[in-house]
Amino acid sequence: MEVLWAAGQVGALWLALVLGLIVLPSALGISLGISEVYMWVLVKTLEWATIRLEKGVKKPQPQMLQTPTAIGIIERDETPMEKEIARLHRADFEFSHIFYFCRKGFEAIVEDEVTQRFSSEELLSWNLLTRTNVNFHYISLRLTVVWVIGVIVRYCFLLPLRFTLAAIGITSMILGTTVVGQLPNGSVKNYLSEVVHLTCSRVLVRALSGTIRYHNKENRPQKGGICVANHTSPIDAIILTNDGCYAMVGQVHGGLMGVIQRATVKACPHVWFERSEMKDRHLVTKRLREHVADKSKLPILIFPEGTCINNTSVMMFKKGSFEIGGTIYPVAIKYDPQFGDAFWNSSKYNIVSYLLRIMTSWAIVCNVWYLPPMVRKEDEDAVQFANRVRSAIARQGGLTELPWDGGLKRAKVKDTFKEEQQKNYSKMLVRNGSIG
Amino acid sequence: QGQAQTGPGVTSLFSPAVTSEQIEHLHRRFKQLSQDQLTIRKENFDSIPDLEFNPIRGKIVHAFFDKRNLRQESDGLADEINFEDFLTIMSYFRPIEMNMDEEQLDRFRKEKLKFLFHMYDSDHDGKITLQEYRNVVEELLSGNPHLEKESARSIADGAMMEAASICVGQMGPDQVYEGITFEDFLKMWQGIDIETKMHVRFLNVDTIAHCY
Repeated sequence: MEVLWAAGQVGALWLALVLGLIVLPSALGISLGISEVYMWVLVKTLEWATIRLEKGVKKPQPQMLQTPTAIGIIERDETPMEKEIARLHRADFEFSHIFYFCRKGFEAIVEDEVTQRFSSEELLSWNLLTRTNVNFHYISLRLTVVWVIGVIVRYCFLLPLRFTLAAIGITSMILGTTVVGQLPNGSVKNYLSEVVHLTCSRVLVRALSGTIRYHNKENRPQKGGICVANHTSPIDAIILTNDGCYAMVGQVHGGLMGVIQRATVKACPHVWFERSEMKDRHLVTKRLREHVADKSKLPILIFPEGTCINNTSVMMFKKGSFEIGGTIYPVAIKYDPQFGDAFWNSSKYNIVSYLLRIMTSWAIVCNVWYLPPMVRKEDEDAVQFANRVRSAIARQGGLTELPWDGGLKRAKVKDTFKEEQQKNYSKMLVRNGSIG
Repeated sequence: QGQAQTGPGVTSLFSPAVTSEQIEHLHRRFKQLSQDQLTIRKENFDSIPDLEFNPIRGKIVHAFFDKRNLRQESDGLADEINFEDFLTIMSYFRPIEMNMDEEQLDRFRKEKLKFLFHMYDSDHDGKITLQEYRNVVEELLSGNPHLEKESARSIADGAMMEAASICVGQMGPDQVYEGITFEDFLKMWQGIDIETKMHVRFLNVDTIAHCY
């Protein structure tokens, strides 16, 4: 009896602390600085760990780590096909053509640009998480002790805390939006719905120990616009709604997600599509166009890549989002992988194990840049506009641009692309006068 | 999981050009291609988008399973290859080192040319016949609707004629050129610098501090 009562007391105290120190400040939009202190301690620890690692490996000079993984492991020869082949031979067709393609083929087999985007970015130095360590060899007792402490802190302290916060955040979101949804439409309802959404977003961001830096807030998306961002994980949406209110666009899910969707749509005009509706592109475009035309509605949030990429590059933007019209507000999101890997490799992990990994990482640190708004020019078509926006985002976030489709995560290359390359090659042969 | 198990024989193929870190990288790539299995089959190469563009894709993949390239005594095609075989094929593309002597350079060159020869000689009879050469040209030019089969053929025929003239010299009217043997193949490439065209160079990646 005593034990139960004591446990109850502890539980109540714990809840009170959480509410007082975290939930209340989020509701009011102020920060007590606890996460700053945590981050400072974390950074110091990781720096110490890196120094110990370098000492342990006994490098001759403590060279500052370059970023070879960003460019790849092999030196690719970027000379275009025409130059290379012209260099190799006289004008006739000879065995030499095969050299060029042979080498290109080998380069592709050793390392290809696309597949490496669908696995997590490699770190420059170990961040004391086993999951990022490819070979764990024993270096020193001190490092191991720090690692063990890290495990205990993460799993026994941070995880329950984060879980509590997430539970509070989601429940209050559902309850809050349901309550607000009962009110008649008007400015009061909109204001309250914004408050509810923002508070719950902030609680959820704290549930992930998120440290987000927003740049260029003057370019924040306005009402009646379309916000476009690169996609790395499902928490991208929470990162953005932490700083403003958006109308989300997406498919209706079942389960907990479905409950949240149904509750939030009562308070705020999110655009949820049934699975059958998603197939009809014209219907989707029409609905979004109607939403955008209403200048009093919140800006829509769209991720045009269509799938999660590992945050080192930006892949092809699907042109559908750019055919709707209206002003596009591009946003670049770049996560710092040192503290926790936010990338969701959906072919490797399901959503539950993904959330577990996120909640047992150190923190989620990211930078969000709001870019100046863009509109489609007169002589541009949707694809060119999409590429223009994509370049702007890639340049700001320091990501590489790839012309490939994110759908290649699961599907194969379209035949039309293959034929293009082959046509180029044969055209070149014809030009060289090898034929006739 | 475990480390890359490679025998001493394989690392000697590479030394001194490849470090253990690069082998680790290749091992990781191998695991990615094989989807964490111990061997790779032909189908695993389908998952490389960059390779789809390559017109001689089939021949390249084929080369990985060709037993002659795998330095095995028997002939024909293997069904699957393990990591050691993968490295063996990769070794054909290692770049030349500055400190190589004449004999090493010559052996190097011969190895690379032999690899190429095997790519052309699809029936493994030690000769590149006219038909085999035509096949290669057609593959290289495949996919272009403007190019007729006849043009591809005439290119192949022209090239074979040139090869014949280099190798055999003037032929009598009823002499038949059987096919290009490996010695003829070597003769054709005399004086042309291929060593620098057929290599894949690794970047210096040993600045990453791993936990060793």
